[in-house]
Amino acid sequence: MKLSTYNFLTSMAIKGVKVGFPLKLTISKKEVVESEFNPTFMERILPKLDWSAVYGAAQVAELTEDIPAVQPENIGENELLLQKLHHLLFEIDVLEGQLECPETGRVFPITDGIPNMLLNEDEV
Amino acid sequence: METPYTDHLSPEDFEHVYEPAEDSFLLLDALEKDLEYLDRLQPRLCVELGSGSGVIITALAKKLAGFSMCLATDINPKACNATRRTATRNGARLDSIRCSLADALRPRSVDVLLFNPPYVVTSDEELQTHQFDSHSESSTDRNLVFSWAGGQDGRRVTDILLKQLDDILSPRGVLYLLLLRENKPEEIIKYLEGLQFRAVKFMERRIPGEHLCILKVTRCSASS
Repeated sequence: MKLSTYNFLTSMAIKGVKVGFPLKLTISKKEVVESEFNPTFMERILPKLDWSAVYGAAQVAELTEDIPAVQPENIGENELLLQKLHHLLFEIDVLEGQLECPETGRVFPITDGIPNMLLNEDEV
Repeated sequence: METPYTDHLSPEDFEHVYEPAEDSFLLLDALEKDLEYLDRLQPRLCVELGSGSGVIITALAKKLAGFSMCLATDINPKACNATRRTATRNGARLDSIRCSLADALRPRSVDVLLFNPPYVVTSDEELQTHQFDSHSESSTDRNLVFSWAGGQDGRRVTDILLKQLDDILSPRGVLYLLLLRENKPEEIIKYLEGLQFRAVKFMERRIPGEHLCILKVTRCSASS
């Protein structure tokens, strides 16, 4: 699971959960996969991303030196930052770890790179 | 669009995961035919629900490489794993998530949604007696029934998705949905109109024993 995917995951399907976002991420095994950097796409995808979850991912991946806590303005003109964001969001693949619902503490395991977000019938 | 390689998948895989067939290829052909539209749409997030072997989302991810994020969901862990392997085998960049439909995704985030649902008309009992075992990591043969058994009118799963569509699609989002004539596409088109969606039969194909079509669904408010 790439950290860009993490930005779109929520536990709000659990009965009673209001937002379920951002999930609390723990990484126990990851790998870096190289992928082509496209500044135009990075600029386009950013408005769709939640910066608190981008920064949260950077904290867990220990890349906070690269990523500011608050989204800077005119980010499209800062190619170096776009490159660092590309690395964080599209090149780090979480192979083992877990996601935790911020409201209920329900844990979703990540195994072989695949988060298991499937809920049991009594949870929905 | 190139048809992805599937030589990494074995007959044993296809005991647990739906094997690409005419319906899969019709959905691929529809996307191919609509590439100009997709180019203009500039989707940022594309999602396939019930990705199975992963050939459809892999083909799209290859085509949109570097321009779009692609995700695949499936309730069957073996399908999630097969999708991930198909992406890797074909050098496509996408992630696989195990969940029901788009349950795990942030609301109104999906720009392109693909769904080849379990559309075969079966008795509802067939579905009810086959509860999907979400605890089991070793999905058994009986879980494959969820890749095709559609209950009454073959619509049980499709109807759940249609109800959630407004919460799933982004303001300019589009859904490509595969249907069988027995699923009553006209009824679905009418139903969607009532929910402020415009649905058209985008492509049709007769194959032995089945009359398939692809519905293309957009928001009435979206400018095309």
